[in-house]
Amino acid sequence: MTIDRRRFLATAAVSAAVALRSMPHRLAIPRDPDALADLELVASLGPDEVREIGRAYRAIVPAEDDRAALERALRRERRAVRPTNEDPVRADFAAGRVIAVRGWLLSRTEARRCALFSLPSA
Amino acid sequence: MHTDARTLEDGHVLEADLCIAGAGAAGISIAREWIGKARTVLLLEGGGFDYEPAMQELYRGENVGLPYFPLQAARLHYFGGTTGHWAGFCSTYDDIDFQPRSWVPHSGWPIARAALDPYYARAQRVLELGPYEYDAAWWRRRDPSLVPFSYDARRLWSKIWQFSPPTRFGTRYRAEIVGARNVHLLTHANVCEVETNESASAVTGLRIRTLEGKQLRARARHYVLACSTIQNARLLLASNRRAASGLGNAHDLVGRYFMEHLEMPSGTLVLTGTRPASTTMYGFEWGKTKARAEIAASAAAQRERRMLNATVSLIPATPGESAKSTFESFTPAVLEARRRAEREGRSLAGSPPENGAQGQRVFELHTRQEQAPNPASRVTLARERDALGMRRARLDWRLTPLDRHSFRSFYDVLGRELGQIGVGRVRMNDWVASGGESWPSSLGGGWHHMGTTRMHTDPRQGVVDPSCRVHGVGNLSIAGASVFPTAGSANPTLTLVALSLRLSDRLESTLR
Repeated sequence: MTIDRRRFLATAAVSAAVALRSMPHRLAIPRDPDALADLELVASLGPDEVREIGRAYRAIVPAEDDRAALERALRRERRAVRPTNEDPVRADFAAGRVIAVRGWLLSRTEARRCALFSLPSA
Repeated sequence: MHTDARTLEDGHVLEADLCIAGAGAAGISIAREWIGKARTVLLLEGGGFDYEPAMQELYRGENVGLPYFPLQAARLHYFGGTTGHWAGFCSTYDDIDFQPRSWVPHSGWPIARAALDPYYARAQRVLELGPYEYDAAWWRRRDPSLVPFSYDARRLWSKIWQFSPPTRFGTRYRAEIVGARNVHLLTHANVCEVETNESASAVTGLRIRTLEGKQLRARARHYVLACSTIQNARLLLASNRRAASGLGNAHDLVGRYFMEHLEMPSGTLVLTGTRPASTTMYGFEWGKTKARAEIAASAAAQRERRMLNATVSLIPATPGESAKSTFESFTPAVLEARRRAEREGRSLAGSPPENGAQGQRVFELHTRQEQAPNPASRVTLARERDALGMRRARLDWRLTPLDRHSFRSFYDVLGRELGQIGVGRVRMNDWVASGGESWPSSLGGGWHHMGTTRMHTDPRQGVVDPSCRVHGVGNLSIAGASVFPTAGSANPTLTLVALSLRLSDRLESTLR
C-alpha cells in the first residue's frame, strides 16, 4: 500500500467517521482494515450506492447475511494473501473471484465489505 | 467531365472501358485511381450534387425485422454518397476479423489481413488521415500525454482510431472528378438493371433511368457496382431477366448476411484511487483529436470466452442524463439539421459530446460490437416499386444469441481487468447484466451496412471471389462493404476504401 493511499484512507476514515456520526441511520463505524479499505469504494460510488450493493450482496448470498459470517469470510481472504502481502481486492480480480451486484462487477472482498457497510452498527 | 443525364436524349448509349455504378466512397475512390490513365471511365451517380428529396425517396424501403433506422435516412443518394453525413471515424480491422473462428459461424475472409496493408496506407490519404500508424505505443511516443491503461494483453488492448476531417467525397473530390478528361461523371443516372447475355455469365450493359422517364444505357468492358450494401443487393436481385433469382444469386446468397455494428450505451466506468488513471488517450474533441483509443477485447479473450469482437469508448457522463443509442441520438431530423448546418457553414448544435475532460471520474461506456454473420439477416425485394419502377429494398435485420451473449462476456472481461489493474469499477446496464435473449429499446446500430454480397472462394458460400468479382459473371465486380464476410469492431469506411483501391489495381490488370 502506498503512502498516499494510507494517507487518503486515514483522511477519508476521519471524514467519513465525522459524516457517519451525523447521519440519521445507524451505520457500521469502521473498526478494522477491511472496513477502512471499503471507504475508497464509498468515495468512488457514494455511501448510498455502497449500502445498496451491500444489501443486494446479502440477498444474493444469504449465508453471509450477518456480521460474523462476513468478517469470517474476510479474515479467510486476508490470511490467503498474507504470504504475498497482496491486496485482497486485486487478488480477487486476478483469480476471477468477481461478482456482479446491482450491475457492478466487484471483487468478492469488496462486495463483502459493502455488505458490512450496509449492516446496522453492532 | 460531367453530364446531367436528364439533358441526354432518350435512348442514348454511353460507352467506356470501365463503368462504375455509384459515386460514394467506394466508387469515387476507384474512379480517382484512373484519372489520367489510358482508359475511359464512366461514373454513374443516381442523384445530383446535393440532397434532393425526390432522389432520397428512391432509397425508401421496408424494415420488417428488428427496429431499424428508416432506409432512406441511413444512406445518402447524391454524389459523394453517405460520406455526406459520416463522422470520419477510421480504424483498421483486426487479424482475428479475417480468421475463421469456430464459435462464429460463417466467419473468415478468403484474404489475409496483411494483404490490405498497402491499401490501408493509400486509403489514409484518400480519407485525409494521418500516418498509417494504429499502434498505441507509436502515438504515445509522439504525444507522451497519451498513456494507455496497462492491461493484460491477453484480455484487453487499446485500439486506435484516427479521424478524417470528415472527408465529404462529394465536395472534396468533385472538381477532380469533373475535371478529369477520361472520367465521365453522369449524375441523375439511376441504374435500374444489370443486363446480361443469355447465360447470365457476362454483363452486356446497364439500364439507366431518370425520374423524368428517360432511358439510357451504359456499355463497358468491365462493370463495378459500388452503390452501397443495400443497393448493391437490390440491384442484383432486380436484375432477373436471365437469372430468375437475380444476378450472381445462383446459391441464394445475394442480400443475405446483412450486418451492422451494434452501437449502444452498455455500462458505466467509475475511476477509483486517489490518483485516477489518465484517460487522455481515450478522449475525443471534434475537429481537434488526431487519434484516440477505444478499449478492445483481445483475440485471446475472444477465443477464451467465445465472444465477438468489440470495443468500448469512454464518454464523460452528464449528471441527470441517461445515455442514448445512436438511433435515439441521431434521428432523421437531427441528421438533416446537421447536414443543413454544415452546408451553410454554421456550427453544429448538439454535436456528439466531447470527452477527456480533466478531473472526470465517471464515464458512460458505449460499446461497438461486431454482428455475427447471419444468413437470416437479409435484404430482399419488396412488392412496392419506386418512381423508377424498381422494386424497393426490404430489410429484415436479425441478430443471434451469440450477438446477445457477447455483450455480457465482454463486460465480464472489462470489469475484471479494469478492476485488477486499479483503473476503476464497471457497472453494466441492466440489459447487459440480466443476460437473456431480448434486446433493450436502446438497440442501435452505427449505419454501417455490410455483408450482402460477401466474399468467399466458394460460389456456394459467397457472391464475390477474393478479387471481388461476382462468381460466374466474368466482367462484373462489386465494391464497398457489401463484400465484407465479417463486420469486425471498427467503422468500415477505411477498410472499404482500401478494398476499393485493391479492386482498382486488379482491374488495371484486367483492362490492360
